[in-house]
Amino acid sequence: MATIETRGLKKYFGEVRAVDGVDLSSKEGEFLVLLGPSGCGKTTLLRMIAGLEQPTAGEVLIGGQVVNELPPRARQIAMVFQSYALYPHMSLFDNIAFPLKAQGGMTKQARKEKVEWAASILGIEKLLGRKPRQISGGERQRVALARALVREPTLFLLDEPLSNLDAKLRASARDELKRLQRRIGITTIYVTHDQVEAMGMGDRIAVMYQGKVRQIGTPQEIYHESGDVFVATFLGSPGINLMERDDCLVGFRPEHFLPKEVVEVQDNLTTFSFRVTRVEHLGADRLAYGVVSGAAGDIEIVAKLPSTVTVPIAAGQSYDFVVQKQHLRFFDKTTGVRTEPKHF
Amino acid sequence: MQEAAADNVQGRARFRHLADRKGFLGMLFLLPAVVYIVILVGVPFFLAIAFSLSDVTVGDTSLDFVGLDNFRSIIKTSQFQRALINSFLFVIVAQVLIIVLATTLAQVLSQDFRGKWLARFLIILPWAAPISLGTIGWLWLLDSKFSPIDWVLQTVGLLGPGTLLGPGNHMNFLGREGLAMASVIMVQVWRMLPLSAVILLAGLSSIPQDILDQAAVDGAGFWRTLFRIKLPLILPIMSIVLLFGMIFTFGDMVVVYLLTRGGPIYYTQVLPTWAFFKGIEGGALAEGAAIALFLFPVLLAVAILVLRASRRMEVT
Repeated sequence: MATIETRGLKKYFGEVRAVDGVDLSSKEGEFLVLLGPSGCGKTTLLRMIAGLEQPTAGEVLIGGQVVNELPPRARQIAMVFQSYALYPHMSLFDNIAFPLKAQGGMTKQARKEKVEWAASILGIEKLLGRKPRQISGGERQRVALARALVREPTLFLLDEPLSNLDAKLRASARDELKRLQRRIGITTIYVTHDQVEAMGMGDRIAVMYQGKVRQIGTPQEIYHESGDVFVATFLGSPGINLMERDDCLVGFRPEHFLPKEVVEVQDNLTTFSFRVTRVEHLGADRLAYGVVSGAAGDIEIVAKLPSTVTVPIAAGQSYDFVVQKQHLRFFDKTTGVRTEPKHF
Repeated sequence: MQEAAADNVQGRARFRHLADRKGFLGMLFLLPAVVYIVILVGVPFFLAIAFSLSDVTVGDTSLDFVGLDNFRSIIKTSQFQRALINSFLFVIVAQVLIIVLATTLAQVLSQDFRGKWLARFLIILPWAAPISLGTIGWLWLLDSKFSPIDWVLQTVGLLGPGTLLGPGNHMNFLGREGLAMASVIMVQVWRMLPLSAVILLAGLSSIPQDILDQAAVDGAGFWRTLFRIKLPLILPIMSIVLLFGMIFTFGDMVVVYLLTRGGPIYYTQVLPTWAFFKGIEGGALAEGAAIALFLFPVLLAVAILVLRASRRMEVT
């Protein structure tokens, strides 16, 4: 087991700065998620950690050792690709045994036991004689994980391993993957663009944008205490509501924007006149879309009301909605960085 | 009058929609190819079969059926036996060399390096230039007196009195039994290599990068990646290269004809050249046809086997 650290890591492809100075360090046994939109450099960062890309500048440290000059095979890592990259011409047994064979120094019997151990952890013992094309997407993902597990690596690198699964399978695979990681306790770097995956699985999340880490913290921290406008808007569905006030942006989450009558506290409230234009009933929640008039004109706002809030809301009507002051977030208008609370 | 007009309109409509009928269009588009194959491949092929079973010669063009007499008589001649052995030697040695060298070359060309396009261009040249031109170049390179290869060997001290390859001052590549065959095989390899390499290169570049990255992360080095991942994945393509190379080389006479004309004596004679010398230059059409057709059943069987095997090997 080991920790992973990057120092001033950069990767330029010509003019494109894919990764632009990333300092990151994981804790022992941590599940660290790299979250960001497509093209933010998260996969390139992962590939540099794996040794598949040479950094333009900076250092990668695994277990405190600089590994920049080491090829992937000398880094004691295991990686699962988005496509699973199973060797199509080999049986599943041979797929899982491949890293052991490459490593060498193992008897056939020992190898067999190791493969069966990894397969049993993922519940695929019965499939070992098959070829990758004969199994389903969910099973392929397990084989890829078993192959990553079999060598007992010091570091697990996962590149969007769930994105090829259908929605239902993804939820159960998420749970399984997280439990697996807890059980074996290997430091894991997990790349995804899906915030639900990131929030649900990550011990900590590093939010990336344009080659830089914008914020790193626990899921609660980055959601509730977003460090800048990008992080605040990237997380949450529907996204954070933003209003311009003087030299700053004021933001609040849709679930904190509630009808006045359902909020029990009476102090420290900010009240808005909310003209509802459309209501969506999503079962567990109601989404109310509408506008709030302000100094800069009408601003579109979304309110997310849990089904426990039964106050009737209809399109075309205006209501008094409130936000508790503690839920207001302030960002600098030009830099987008979080600032101190102001009078509002 | 009106009915006739209506018929006319209907007729035109039918004609207009003819282009939408896939069956009709398919036949229409296939027709030129079918005509071409029938006239230029089918007719000569059946004519050759007819010739081989008859007593036709250049002087007497009447076809009298003689059964398998031509085959029986040619098999007995030592020239034919030598040509048969040479044909197999020529094909097998050349194909083994081509597969090994083409794989190596494709492997090199699939890497990124400066001047890659120039290397690719130079390598495809032997295939793009007319083969007669290339072979005439080789004829000079391998000349008995003026061979530049001899000169190089002499200069580095490998050829001449008292040296490894001495005592003569010339290798006489095309005039010595073993060397002549080796030369013919080498020129054939030189000629076939580019196409094989380019086809294998296409095969190599079709392997997903993820698979190669995965192998690197799994700890595979160069050789393991080559023999356990890359080669198994391009095996279907490689078998096609091998099949076409074999069939092409079995039926090809250009290199032998231009370099040695089957000589010295008939040491480099292969079946196609022997068929040509016997049937066209010697005028024994029936025997020439029999020689040319001799390997047909074998080649057909090989083609079917390799095609079936390659379909079974397809992995994705």
